[in-house]
Amino acid sequence: MAEPSSSRRAGSAGTAAVVWPVAVTVGLLAGWELIVRALGVRPIILPAPSEIVRVMIARHEVLLDNLWPSLTLTVLGFLLSVVGGVAVALLITYSRIFRLGFYPIIVVSQVVPKVSIAPLFIVWFGTGLVSNLMLAFLVAFFPMTINAVMGFGSTDGDIQKMARAFMGSPAQIFWKIRLPNAMPHIFAGMKISITLAIIGVIVSEFVASQEGIGYLIKLSSGLLDTPLMMAAITVLSLAGLALYGLIALAERRAVYWQPPADVGAGGG
Amino acid sequence: MADAPADARPGPAGTPALAIRDVRKLYGDLEAIRSVSLDVADGEFVSLLGPSGCGKSTLLMIVAGLGRASGGTVAIHGEPVTGPRRDTGVVFQSPVLLPWRSVLDNVLLPIEFQGLSRQTYEPRARDLLRMARIDQFADALPHQLSGGMKQRAAICRALVHEPGLLLMDEPFSALDAITRDEMGVELLRLWQTFRKTVVFVTHSIREAAFLSDRVLVMGRRPATIVEEVAIDLPRPRQIAMTEDEAFNRHVRRLRRAIEANHG
Ligand SMILES: Nc1ncnc2c1ncn2[C@@H]1O[C@H](COP(=O)(O)OP(=O)(O)O)[C@@H](O)[C@H]1O
Ligand SMILES: [Mg+2]
Repeated sequence: MAEPSSSRRAGSAGTAAVVWPVAVTVGLLAGWELIVRALGVRPIILPAPSEIVRVMIARHEVLLDNLWPSLTLTVLGFLLSVVGGVAVALLITYSRIFRLGFYPIIVVSQVVPKVSIAPLFIVWFGTGLVSNLMLAFLVAFFPMTINAVMGFGSTDGDIQKMARAFMGSPAQIFWKIRLPNAMPHIFAGMKISITLAIIGVIVSEFVASQEGIGYLIKLSSGLLDTPLMMAAITVLSLAGLALYGLIALAERRAVYWQPPADVGAGGG
Repeated sequence: MADAPADARPGPAGTPALAIRDVRKLYGDLEAIRSVSLDVADGEFVSLLGPSGCGKSTLLMIVAGLGRASGGTVAIHGEPVTGPRRDTGVVFQSPVLLPWRSVLDNVLLPIEFQGLSRQTYEPRARDLLRMARIDQFADALPHQLSGGMKQRAAICRALVHEPGLLLMDEPFSALDAITRDEMGVELLRLWQTFRKTVVFVTHSIREAAFLSDRVLVMGRRPATIVEEVAIDLPRPRQIAMTEDEAFNRHVRRLRRAIEANHG
């Protein structure tokens, strides 16, 4: 009798994949700190990492007060894009008219830098949460849709033949085969969408807003408070990293049958 | 476990398990099958032998209800085939297991698709896995199995809903030679227990001779059946029998038939 194939991934390779990026990051931060101190660079030009951390602690209230609205909008815009993207992907997958009529438009519209529409949204929806949410949704929606379409379309021919041979109905084939088969692609789309949703929120807060990290960055830039600006950027990056990490974690649990794959189609 | 599945009951006297009458197939201008007629008796193990591209899969998929004939008829136990049927089980060249399902859940897929009770069939699925000697992998995911073990699981899946007719399209051709011989022996062992009618497609002369009651040699495209060889070797068959003169006589005869028509 044959042996089970060895498909264990090497643990040492996994450790190396963590150790190296961390070591390089620490090295870069240390270099940054040293150069700023050695050359006596003024904080208004470039604050040292230690100064940024000091400001993050000292002014955590204003940072957090502005983080929550941005975070809420990001998550909402992201969720909308996932629901909308999967729904439109289903229409494209199952409706010939949608596939022929709308899919090319969606693909081509990838080229339009969506954030350039932000001022238009302000004309339409005013300077408020709706405007910001719409932009976050819009930029996150397209890569989500395209990845989901790829996912639903990626069931291989042999599997479809097998499913028909054993008399699966179209609904059964969707729930038991096409949807799980699309999950890696859907997660790849979600990882792109979450980062784009953040960009959408920040840009719309730059354009017109009275709160949010984007607003805080613009405000501190106007006040020449570079340390606060850098602290805001750091907080934003950490929040983005956390959101991305949550999705990657969910992916590991949902797509338990394969190592996380970079099957994403880019977008922006 | 019940030996004779409900739907394999002998029909009106003389109704074959499978009757193929003058089946033809065109892919556009390409004539894949000219005319094939063939009867398979209940419980018989029949192989379709021919080189790649001669139309074996095309014919088998028509029998499975997955492809349409351009002419002629196929009947299983007297009922015309118009699409996939409950009383057929199919094994493809690749195992096509769903990677997110455990081996047991893969085997039970036809039960779920056909709206049968999982509870009722789970013991049967486990019995099949035991007979195929992969019961210790019931809860494993397919990627943890070797190629041969995956194909065993695919065979269990094709048998779980108690089909009367098992269709196999070069199921062992992706396996290495040693595993392939073992799989043949294992398949015969399962078949000895269930006595399903089997139509087995292969391009291996030895494999066809070793497994079958009867081998049908298909000519080059457009396909017809050019030779029919009854293999009267005793059962159960052992790998050692492939050394015997009786076995090799059959192999030589099949090879001559193929060479005469494809050479
Ligand atoms: N879907 C198809 N469309 C057009 N030609 C096909 C198709 N499927 C098979 N053929 C052609 O029909 C012939 C028989 O193919 P097939 O039945 O797969 O042969 P085999 O299984 O014996 O290798 C081949 O020449 C193949 O190229
Ligand atoms: Mg073939």
